[in-house]
Amino acid sequence: MKILVAVKRVADYNVKVRAKSDNTGPDLANVKMAINPFCEIAVEEAVRMKENGIASEIIAVSVGPQSAQEQVRTALALGADRGILVQTDTDLEPLAIAKCFKAICDNEKPDMVLLGKQAIDGDNNQTGQMIAALTGWSQATFASEITIDGDAVTVIREVDAGLQTVKLKLPAVITADLRLNEPRYASLPNIMKAKKKTIDNTTPEELGVDTSPRVTLLKAAPPAERQAGVKVEDVAELIDKLKNEAKVIS
Amino acid sequence: MDFELDEEYRMLNETVSKFVDNELMPLEAAVLEREASGDGYELSAEELAPLYEKCRALGLWGLDCPEETGGADLPALALVGVNEALGRTVTPFTFPPDSPNLHMMLATVNDEQREKYLEPYARGETISAIAISEPGAGADPAGMITRAVRDGDDWVINGRKIWISRIREADFAIVMAVTDVAKGSRGGISAFIVDKGTPGLEVARDIKLIGGHSNCEVVLEDCRIPTSQLLGVEGQGFAPMQLRLIVRRLQMGAWCLGMANRALDMMCEHANQRVTFGEPLANRQSIQWWVADAVTRTHCLKLMLWDAATKQDNGDDVRTEASMIKLYGTELATDVIDNAMQAFGAMGMTKELPLQMMAQRVRLMRIYEGPSEVHRWVLARRRLKESS
Ligand SMILES: Cc1cc2nc3c(=O)[nH]c(=O)nc-3n(C[C@H](O)[C@H](O)[C@H](O)COP(=O)(O)OP(=O)(O)OC[C@H]3O[C@@H](n4cnc5c(N)ncnc54)[C@H](O)[C@@H]3O)c2cc1C
Repeated sequence: MKILVAVKRVADYNVKVRAKSDNTGPDLANVKMAINPFCEIAVEEAVRMKENGIASEIIAVSVGPQSAQEQVRTALALGADRGILVQTDTDLEPLAIAKCFKAICDNEKPDMVLLGKQAIDGDNNQTGQMIAALTGWSQATFASEITIDGDAVTVIREVDAGLQTVKLKLPAVITADLRLNEPRYASLPNIMKAKKKTIDNTTPEELGVDTSPRVTLLKAAPPAERQAGVKVEDVAELIDKLKNEAKVIS
Repeated sequence: MDFELDEEYRMLNETVSKFVDNELMPLEAAVLEREASGDGYELSAEELAPLYEKCRALGLWGLDCPEETGGADLPALALVGVNEALGRTVTPFTFPPDSPNLHMMLATVNDEQREKYLEPYARGETISAIAISEPGAGADPAGMITRAVRDGDDWVINGRKIWISRIREADFAIVMAVTDVAKGSRGGISAFIVDKGTPGLEVARDIKLIGGHSNCEVVLEDCRIPTSQLLGVEGQGFAPMQLRLIVRRLQMGAWCLGMANRALDMMCEHANQRVTFGEPLANRQSIQWWVADAVTRTHCLKLMLWDAATKQDNGDDVRTEASMIKLYGTELATDVIDNAMQAFGAMGMTKELPLQMMAQRVRLMRIYEGPSEVHRWVLARRRLKESS
């Protein structure tokens, strides 16, 4: 089984991201970048499938700037076999990214596309679903457990009401939730091996993808600062405030 | 000039940072508690076993050992980030094998010694000590008087060594002794390997130091060892010993960078949220200057480390750079840690925060591997000589 796994370059989850002073977007100058944590979980799952003899090849794909090669290389160090970087200097929307993946799926014919459920930059939670729509493949989002049996996949999904189990046919698009696994760290021997693995470079244009934006960003601003809370003397005062000030209970 | 670290070393640094954050930091609370109760703060065998297992799985073993001894043979540049990450935590841990004497031995062992001493040592199976300092010769090791005299097929060593770390645990010690009084440090000092339990090698006493450290005074009395225990060339023990110091000094500089960055992080976080007289500490100029000095100086230290490591990897002599780094790094970390302790007020004095352990650790570091004053003196002498 061949798996395509998506890795996105985002600001490290530990970084406190600020808006640019002209409000045109987040200020990412000199910010530590990393693989999107949900993508890391997707990579880990693919690598485990390979270790268990289920997957035969893992291709790590990133759509992003040249520097995103670093994240592809990290995926290779975690165990992916080769990489593809779709190089673009514009911040693509989920639909354009999904179209890039669709084009790569046409070329590579994977049996599964594994992605994070969302990237922690835009928190869009759309790319996986859009790839499924564009390819017409079955999809399971928010996966917390994936079991493969021949060409059938059973996925336990984390949904608002609890856990939902779905069965899909391959090829399929699956997006990883937080509890799917705990990603490993890249070991030193694997980091050294990753140096020799290939990363193919392409562009949205080469893939024939129209990347023109559908959405216009009007303004990027930090969320309003949280006001300091108040201490209440007793439960009666709390209830009074909830009723009469906050008006959240009646 | 390229200030970017190679991709693979950035990834290695990332792995090491994660190891420190996820495996070592969680042990800090227990380490601090033990230190506060007066027990040794060293990790127990039960704590070390799973860490070593993880190190093996991640290939974090023998990072600076040569490939023929099963090591990763990483360049000095890659090790800067590794040691910096380790410096951030007070959990006492180095990636195995803990082998400060490795480079000295690599430069000196013969085939027989390679197999008998170096290889097991590089694999982490043995522990070693080094005995240079004497009651009358510390900062100036050339003034040592411990004598080794040739007697047939043996060497007989007599003298007294002090401040020796890990001699009780060590399987062997590298003992420096005078073999030619007239030549002294210019061809008259030799290195010997003395096995644990060799008659005439006696630990005279343990000496407790700050920071939970304990060193030993060692007496050598008619300590007889075969000539095969001579390490390297007779009379040429001083240069390889200096080599060992260079490696150690770069390592110490990187530890200091990690310590200073940790203290700076703690200080900034605290200053932003601690309010006095109606305003956060972060608004006070006295605190701001500490922060400004710390970011500037840590940046300097990082560049100094990268520079020296790059030169060392190119095979250049970095004695001068190593001196500067040892001097600058330890004094910088001393100041940043002290300022952080001050910013925390009484909380900074407690044994609940790692700051006081860091302060004691860096205090020791201003003495061993050459006191600051000696490094200043050496640096100045070298520069003055250039103009004379
Ligand atoms: C934690 C720790 C571990 C150690 N482990 C070992 C070990 O394993 N093996 C070993 O052999 N030794 C070890 N030592 C000893 C260490 O190397 C010496 O303490 C160090 O070299 C200083 O020597 P000294 O203590 O005799 O001080 P001295 O040589 O007496 O110097 C005292 C002070 O005099 C000043 N000074 C000296 N010379 C000059 C000068 N030229 N110009 C200006 N000022 C000067 C400095 O301020 C210096 O701090 C260790 C020490 C410590 C603290």
